[in-house]
Amino acid sequence: MTDTSILRLDCIHKNFGGVNVIDDLSFEVQRGSRTALIGPNGAGKTTVFNLISGVFFPDSGSIFVGENDITGIKSGTRIRHGIARTFQNVRLMPHLSTLENVILGQHSRNRGWLGALQPVNLLPGNRWCEEARAGLADAGLGDYERASVGSLPYGVQRRIELVRALMAQPKLLLLDEPAAGLNAAETEELQIHLFKLCQSGDLTLLVVEHDMHFVGALCEAAVVLSFGRKIAEGTPDAVRDNPDVQEVYLGKSASPVSAASEKKEGDRASQRA
Amino acid sequence: MSGYFEGVLVLLAINVVFAYGAYLPLAAGQLNLGIAGFAAVGAYGSAYLSDTFAIHPILAIPIGAMFAGLIALLVAVPVLRTRGIYLALATFAVGQIVRAAILNLEFLGGAAGYPVSAFVGLPVVLGFALAVIVVVMVLFATRFGIALRAVQDDERVADLMGVEVRGFQMAAFILGAAVAGIGGGLYAHHFSYIEAQYFNIGLSISIVLYVLLGGTQTAWGPLIGATVFTLLPELLRGSASLRYVVFAAGVIVLMALRPQGLLTRATIQRLFDWRNPPIPGVPMASGRGQ
Amino acid sequence: MIGQQIINGVTLGSVYAMVAVALTLSIGVLNFLNFSIPGLFMIGGMALWALLDAGIPWPLAVVGALVIAVAASLMVERFTWRWLRGAPHFVPLVSSMAFLLLFEHIAIAYWGSDMRVVPEAFSGGDWRIAGLVIGIPQLMGLLCSIALVAGLSWLLASTRTGRALRTIAEDPDTALLLGVDINRVVSVVFIVAGLFTALAGILFAINYRQVHPFMGEAVGLKGISAMIIGGMGNIWGSIVGGLIIGTTEVFAISYFGADFVDLAVFGLLLAILILRPTGLFRGMQPVRFGI
Ligand SMILES: Nc1ncnc2c1ncn2[C@@H]1O[C@H](COP(=O)(O)OP(=O)(O)OP(=O)(O)O)[C@@H](O)[C@H]1O
Ligand SMILES: [Mg+2]
Repeated sequence: MTDTSILRLDCIHKNFGGVNVIDDLSFEVQRGSRTALIGPNGAGKTTVFNLISGVFFPDSGSIFVGENDITGIKSGTRIRHGIARTFQNVRLMPHLSTLENVILGQHSRNRGWLGALQPVNLLPGNRWCEEARAGLADAGLGDYERASVGSLPYGVQRRIELVRALMAQPKLLLLDEPAAGLNAAETEELQIHLFKLCQSGDLTLLVVEHDMHFVGALCEAAVVLSFGRKIAEGTPDAVRDNPDVQEVYLGKSASPVSAASEKKEGDRASQRA
Repeated sequence: MSGYFEGVLVLLAINVVFAYGAYLPLAAGQLNLGIAGFAAVGAYGSAYLSDTFAIHPILAIPIGAMFAGLIALLVAVPVLRTRGIYLALATFAVGQIVRAAILNLEFLGGAAGYPVSAFVGLPVVLGFALAVIVVVMVLFATRFGIALRAVQDDERVADLMGVEVRGFQMAAFILGAAVAGIGGGLYAHHFSYIEAQYFNIGLSISIVLYVLLGGTQTAWGPLIGATVFTLLPELLRGSASLRYVVFAAGVIVLMALRPQGLLTRATIQRLFDWRNPPIPGVPMASGRGQ
Repeated sequence: MIGQQIINGVTLGSVYAMVAVALTLSIGVLNFLNFSIPGLFMIGGMALWALLDAGIPWPLAVVGALVIAVAASLMVERFTWRWLRGAPHFVPLVSSMAFLLLFEHIAIAYWGSDMRVVPEAFSGGDWRIAGLVIGIPQLMGLLCSIALVAGLSWLLASTRTGRALRTIAEDPDTALLLGVDINRVVSVVFIVAGLFTALAGILFAINYRQVHPFMGEAVGLKGISAMIIGGMGNIWGSIVGGLIIGTTEVFAISYFGADFVDLAVFGLLLAILILRPTGLFRGMQPVRFGI
């Protein structure tokens, strides 16, 4: 393994009820890169995220973060290794306010009972509280601070979830279909926002996304899954032209480009912000 | 102040304390049906201390509460291994065992009950209740409170955020037992007599009902629930059983019409936050299924 | 002496068993811990007393008590299960607890909280065999419970309704897809629960000749223990659980005193919950928990 890779999956197998959902999967994600994980519905992308974040353990194979083997590490401590994620179907805490959800995202940066007993949401001016508010304001969500998240529009919830994940100050951020349910303008905004986040070079993105315009504009590398196996890897442009990849998407339409993103064609200039 | 009014206030204060005892674990998604048992430990523990060692009630009550917390700590490890309905039943069994144990302990008076000579009046009872309310309110503005409610909402995601789910559930359970113990100690020292029969499953159920009626979404819920459902029946003239009938019917109707309880986060927002009222008509986010 | 105690234990145990069957059916099929069942038990016993007190002859009084309890059970269904499907998971449990309080305090409001004495049902009818005394009511009770449980097993095993119930227990969504009329079938669960519990209450009243508004609590709690010991959702397990608890109780009373009984029974319950939460016999695993 090269020392520039932040994540490495090594011959991962995962079986659900006799079905090989992940089949001998190996790939690497370069430190500081923006990498896409793509594939048709049911290919196993979310399962890969679940394996990396520790929701499931692989049947065999290893997962490395930097130099550390995290294969057997409990899910609750993986965030301390710098792994944060969002969820395909937004999973905010409905009984917490927007601000409290974001503060929850800082949890892994606190240890022990002293950390737990900080009055983060009691008086304004608390360091953590201010940080969370700043995070929300950065994302243009300052107005929603006190709102209960359940009542907010879907797109806003997605953005809050991203802010929450960033609060853990992750090295590796796993985004599961971040653009799903967003309109074209919001998608573009998101893409620019994500690009900016990565500019310092401290953050690595692994993104599951069906929208190939989005992937093409944001990511420099892509891994293609089909039925749990890796069928292609390379730059987004290269994998798009790969005959195997086109074959996989043929069932639906000619190429992954048109497969997912016709609806968003209109106003998008092919830009790489 | 008339004796009647004072009596109602004492009852209210003790019910509020009990309600917070049940609320702490419920906020972390755990139903403690043995809450009356922990109240009994607090009651008998503090009464024994103040009686036998002449410790002042104001000191004996917190120590009794620590006994309750200690018992909770002892049972927490095995009991919290169970989940969902099994947890509710295991806590229920713990409550029954405590009651049965007291009935068998001669030095606690057994079935004959235990007279308590030290007395605390309304001001002390109110003082303790206020302290409990303030402590819980502050606690729920800390990372601890946020994490607890996160555990209730989505254990999996809370775990992935690095919340030590098990530890927080244990802490809430133990702390809740101690708070219930305070309520028991107040009861013992105000009414000067305790018997094991009082701390029965009916008491646990009533306490849990106060909390669920008030709503578990915010730390105000137990206060509102206990207050409304202590005072409302008092407004009715008539027998105690009629009040219970009204209470129970109220629970059934409320659960049907408003299963989240009286006070929800959205209610508070609607009442107190002018800048960001909940947006009516915006559908709840629905995921695409995972 | 021991033989006599076994007989007494089985008598008491059959009461617990019937309550446990009602509880286990509700949890196995609906995943609903129905806390109103102790209330229905009390309604069975107290309604019987009230009807007898009003001068109604025995057979009519028994039928009347059963009808009242089943009606109450259907009311519980209306306000717990039916309304609240899709509500937070603890809601049906909470509402059923409220029904327990409601039933108890309505009974107090009507009949007062005193212990009432039920007249003797079968005068002069004890069987004496080899030094053992078997009361006719004991025998009747045993026969009734055996008949009822056999009937329930038949219902579950070989009728359309039984098949529908089992489908719902396995997966309510599939049941809906298969076109099972859930509301109707669920009513059956509540009718059966009401019937079993009320009959247990009636038998209890006949055997022990005492009723009062809180009579359901102790029995209901032991019914819950019996259900868990037998494995939640397992009907025959509940019966065995009920018999175990009934005999344990009778023996514990005679050797250690009445105060010790609860300690023994609930200690056993806690141990089983922790060590073997599925009970002695494999219970059907409730799929979704109702808290
Ligand atoms: N916990 C689970 N138990 C059983 N099967 C599972 C589980 N999780 C995922 N699967 C199966 O694994 C396969 C891959 O699912 P996964 O959610 O990873 O796909 P995906 O690539 O994320 O698809 P989509 O684009 O629809 O989100 C599916 O067939 C799914 O049914
Ligand atoms: Mg997916």
